[in-house]
Amino acid sequence: MRQLFKTFKVAFKAINKNRSRSLLTVLGIIIGVGAVIMTISAGEGANKQVQDQISGLGTNLLMIYTKMEHRGGTHVRLGRPIDKKDFDILQKNSVWISKLSPLVNIGAQAVGPNGYKSTVVYGVNHEYFDILSRELFSGDYFKEEDVKLANKVCVIGETTREELFVDLDPIGRQIRLDKIPFTVVGLLKEEGQGAMGQDQDDIILAPYTTIQDRLIGHRRGYDMIMASAINENTVSDAKIEASELLRESHKIRDFEKDDFDITTQVELQEITGNITGILTILLGAIASISLIVGGIGIMNIMLVSVTERTREIGTRLAIGARESDILTQFLIEAVVLSLAGGILGTVLGIVGNHIIYKLTNFYIPTAPYSIMIGFGFAALVGIAFGYFPARKAAKLNPIDALRYE
Amino acid sequence: MAAKKVIETKKLSKVFKNGEIEVHALTDINILIEDGEFVAIMGASGSGKSTLLNILGCLDKPSDGEYFLDGVFVNNLNKNQLAAIRNQKIGFIFQSYNLLPRTTALENVELPLVYNRTGEFLNPSEHAKKALEKVGLGNRIYHKTNQLSGGEQQRVAIARALVNNPALILSDEATGNLDSKASIEVADLFVKLNDLGKTILMITHESDIAQFAKRLIYLRDGRVLTDELIKNRSTKESAIRELGLTE
Repeated sequence: MRQLFKTFKVAFKAINKNRSRSLLTVLGIIIGVGAVIMTISAGEGANKQVQDQISGLGTNLLMIYTKMEHRGGTHVRLGRPIDKKDFDILQKNSVWISKLSPLVNIGAQAVGPNGYKSTVVYGVNHEYFDILSRELFSGDYFKEEDVKLANKVCVIGETTREELFVDLDPIGRQIRLDKIPFTVVGLLKEEGQGAMGQDQDDIILAPYTTIQDRLIGHRRGYDMIMASAINENTVSDAKIEASELLRESHKIRDFEKDDFDITTQVELQEITGNITGILTILLGAIASISLIVGGIGIMNIMLVSVTERTREIGTRLAIGARESDILTQFLIEAVVLSLAGGILGTVLGIVGNHIIYKLTNFYIPTAPYSIMIGFGFAALVGIAFGYFPARKAAKLNPIDALRYE
Repeated sequence: MAAKKVIETKKLSKVFKNGEIEVHALTDINILIEDGEFVAIMGASGSGKSTLLNILGCLDKPSDGEYFLDGVFVNNLNKNQLAAIRNQKIGFIFQSYNLLPRTTALENVELPLVYNRTGEFLNPSEHAKKALEKVGLGNRIYHKTNQLSGGEQQRVAIARALVNNPALILSDEATGNLDSKASIEVADLFVKLNDLGKTILMITHESDIAQFAKRLIYLRDGRVLTDELIKNRSTKESAIRELGLTE
């Protein structure tokens, strides 16, 4: 133990004697560790943002839709579509679901006083706004009565307003959806980009009954039922319950598979979490390449250092150093160098994250585990790339080394 | 009471094999050196001086024959044991000093104690200071090696060879890099250390330096040619006088 301490002292002295060279050697590690910390933190930050946006949709959300299958390049529906009967059963019998809305959609040409666009129109009921927690900027939502009477009213998003109205106030004005006039009753508050990158303000919402009657032409089935569970903790109960109710409604026998899918908010978060997780690993892996390059730099310098200090090593061996003493000395030098690089690199990473935040407003919390990864990797690189030169030093023949010129 | 045997070799041989060719560097060397002796080994280059020094210094092993250092049978020791022997029983002095660059005299002299595992030298810097005082560098302990003259550097190296209180001091052409005056100083230092009881074995090819020793072994072609006591030993004064005549 005392011997090891002495060896540490010897290694520190050697590093101290070659200060500028040591610093240059360490630069590779500094940049490597800094890069690892910054990329992993950036990945984590992006993940957090996506997750926040998904939870912004409402964490109690359930989406129930007909199962589709790819067959010969087209989507083919399996089994019965979700329809009004399913909706009624869920509404009447479900304990864990508090709100429900059908969803139908159809492409339509929307024409406003100052512009037009091809878009998708969504038919929903009055509870949709609650389920997805969409708030109003002005005007009002359409009411239960509008849905019942299939009134020609709609609520639009900011992007749609801008394209169809430009600078006019849309409330009370008409737009035409495939030539059918709808009165705009409400304008939604801006939401920005959704979790998947779509514009959540590029939207036209109308009573689903109206859309079915006027645009689709029949009232057979919905594309989806959106529902919200009573609270976050009952989402999985709500899912099981809805699944049982629908199996019964669809007369699916025990050995048959569901002909519908239920996706919950939590699952959506898991999926996107997986995607961004993979992205983070990928970024981190690319950054670690720079660490390996840094390690090679250390190996290179240590090899030069061993050659340069051949005589010193010979002297040490002659006056009683064991091979293991020399090995440890050089190994410690390499590890100390890379750990010093690790510390400085961590500082660089944290400062870098802060600078990015200042410049772009993209907040990156430095992930603590990224520091551990960066640091651990640096130590590993030090040992791995320090071992070869250290071994070379320890295996020197003292007789030759003493007379090395 | 018979004096302690510091070095005893019996039929020591060393053969280097270079492919098909065998080179007999040393053949049947029998040397006995007792405690308190001051022996010079001379010989032309290729006579086996360095090979003998490497073996006596436990840096190399003989091909044949036996070697006892301070009562220890060296032939059977493994690498770590040899390292320990070198550390505890031998003080090396080299032609080119072999000091650590940009390092103080004190740290250089402490170096053997860094590798000493016996726990005998708990205060290395105290021992190092004493050793430096013995070689007359008490006022230079914090000088770095590059701030010292050649003669001073060699004296630091001698202090380093003394610091572990070895049974034997081995000098390999210690004066080879020094001018005449500095060489005489170093040789005189050896004489003084020998007077204090140190056993010294010195390899040299300068006969005037060899004349400072008490006994001279002359090697030729890997064998001991002569081994006799020196009758008319040089002293610092006589050597300087001689130096004056030649100038």
